[in-house]
Amino acid sequence: MIQLQNVNKRYIINKNHTVDALQNINLDFKEGELIVLKGASGSGKSTILSLIAALSKPTSGEVIVDGKRISKLPDHFASIYRRENIGFIFQKYNLIPNLTVEENILLPLIPSNPSEKYASVRLDDLMKQFNIEHKKNIIVQNLSGGEQQRVAIARAHINNPKIIIADEPTANLDEKLSLHFCEILKELKQSNKTIIVATHDPLFFNLDFVDKIIDIKNGHIIS
Amino acid sequence: MKIKINFYLLEYALSTLLRQKRKNIFIITVFTLLTFILSSTFFITNSIKYELNTTVDSLPEIIIQNLKAGKSYDIDTSVVDTIIPIAGVEDVTPRIWGYYFFKNAGVNFTIIGIDQFEKQYKSSFDAIANNFKIDDDSSMIVGLGVQKILHDNYYKEYFNFIKPDGSFKKIKIAGVFKGETQLESNDVIVLSKIAIREILDIDEYTATDIVVKVKNKDEIPTVVQKIQELYPSFRIITNEDIKVSYQNIFDYKSGLFLALFIISLFTFFMVIYDKTSGLTSEEKKEIGILKALGWTVDDILKEKFYESFLISFIAYICGILLAFIFVYIFQAPLLRDVFVGYSDLKTTFELPFVLDLQTLALVFFLSVPIYIAATIIPSWRIATLDADEVIR
Repeated sequence: MIQLQNVNKRYIINKNHTVDALQNINLDFKEGELIVLKGASGSGKSTILSLIAALSKPTSGEVIVDGKRISKLPDHFASIYRRENIGFIFQKYNLIPNLTVEENILLPLIPSNPSEKYASVRLDDLMKQFNIEHKKNIIVQNLSGGEQQRVAIARAHINNPKIIIADEPTANLDEKLSLHFCEILKELKQSNKTIIVATHDPLFFNLDFVDKIIDIKNGHIIS
Repeated sequence: MKIKINFYLLEYALSTLLRQKRKNIFIITVFTLLTFILSSTFFITNSIKYELNTTVDSLPEIIIQNLKAGKSYDIDTSVVDTIIPIAGVEDVTPRIWGYYFFKNAGVNFTIIGIDQFEKQYKSSFDAIANNFKIDDDSSMIVGLGVQKILHDNYYKEYFNFIKPDGSFKKIKIAGVFKGETQLESNDVIVLSKIAIREILDIDEYTATDIVVKVKNKDEIPTVVQKIQELYPSFRIITNEDIKVSYQNIFDYKSGLFLALFIISLFTFFMVIYDKTSGLTSEEKKEIGILKALGWTVDDILKEKFYESFLISFIAYICGILLAFIFVYIFQAPLLRDVFVGYSDLKTTFELPFVLDLQTLALVFFLSVPIYIAATIIPSWRIATLDADEVIR
């Protein structure tokens, strides 16, 4: 379903300074798999997520999702691809702090201009699923870390994407909330979503429902 | 093709505006002020232009003055008989008029003498001649502005003119007239020719100037040329010349210049403001998040368009309404003096209501699209970057 073929990514910091974030990466993920990208900060995990989500383009190589070369997509189509296929859970949630829970969750739906009924039903379902329906009209900056993460997960699901990407999802959570997040991941995997988690949290390395653990160091795949 | 409005985007734009209340209230205030000043200047110049054009259009085609070395002297009425035979001339009338300085109020009145039984050179004087009795030397008809000033200075029924020899000439206020425009009638006093000759000390064989009516306007230059040949020393003024001199008096050209200057200054201010503080790091990050969530550059720009259009259109409407109130209800205190040249010496006049859609459109196009562009361009710059780069 997702293939990275000979992918290199170089960031140009300035004229004299470049960083090779990824070097000759080859990966192949199947539909419904839960993959954990393991590695220290700066190893290149987030860059892989960013390439799969078409948030940036590889310097060379190909990123292919469902047979489509998304690394070649023009900006406009890359956005539509993300809207239709990707649910992104960011490390710091990346919620818009002074919007309500409801407004944040609905953000990915806005460009497709759905009917009010559809949006309302979808919103209510997700808020129930992630146990935040009682927080509907609360401004997100007033929520706890765990609640903010559940809002971020609900937002990632609003368009019912095939691929869920989570970047360091437990970095700001305590152990109890991290375990709860793993439960949520398990549920999502059961609904046949392809899930890619970038983390250095050891909690993920022993989960029995993880299909693959890929170790990355300095832009190279170690194992 | 059916166009479906995305109300979610509109709602999001509104909530974004409400989230940044302070900044947006500041922008709306500055923008309203800009539109207000801009439209006020245009409304004032429109009103003055209207007054000016109506006034000049009602004037006789040609005025002849006896000018010697730049000084104006009274003119011999026998000149009338030599001009009447010129081909194209419809009528020739000697005028007796002048300015009377009313010291108590510090204003000049324009005093004009008419003969009730003569053919009048102005349609508004026909109305006076038909409606009022001023065939004696003891009554006068005054403009509204004059009536107000005299009334404020205890002259409710009569007025005492001071003649050149220092004696008084008591004249009854027989009525008030309203001309087509206030510039024409506001500071005017109409008396009988006998009375005005006494007040200005003009003998019965001379006049202040002579006015010539020409049937066909195309013949004015030829008639002017023939009169000039007969009287090379006379100054001959056409109403076109008056129009030009009135334009200078009311300075509406420099008023327009001032308006354009104000536009440039404020637009510059708005653009600079938006460039320097328009997109905060939070706003940039928000654009990155929206892109990461699947918004296209078009969606982001549409949302920014709604935001900036709402702000600038609200400010435009507020500015226009304030300008209407300021100019047409309060008569543009302070600002009007910039445009009306010698208002200190003249009685004040009211700016007539002139609704010019072109002016409203001009103010709109000089303000709203400029602000929208100043808002959209920085957002477009950010939205076209890789979302990853912006979020990081």
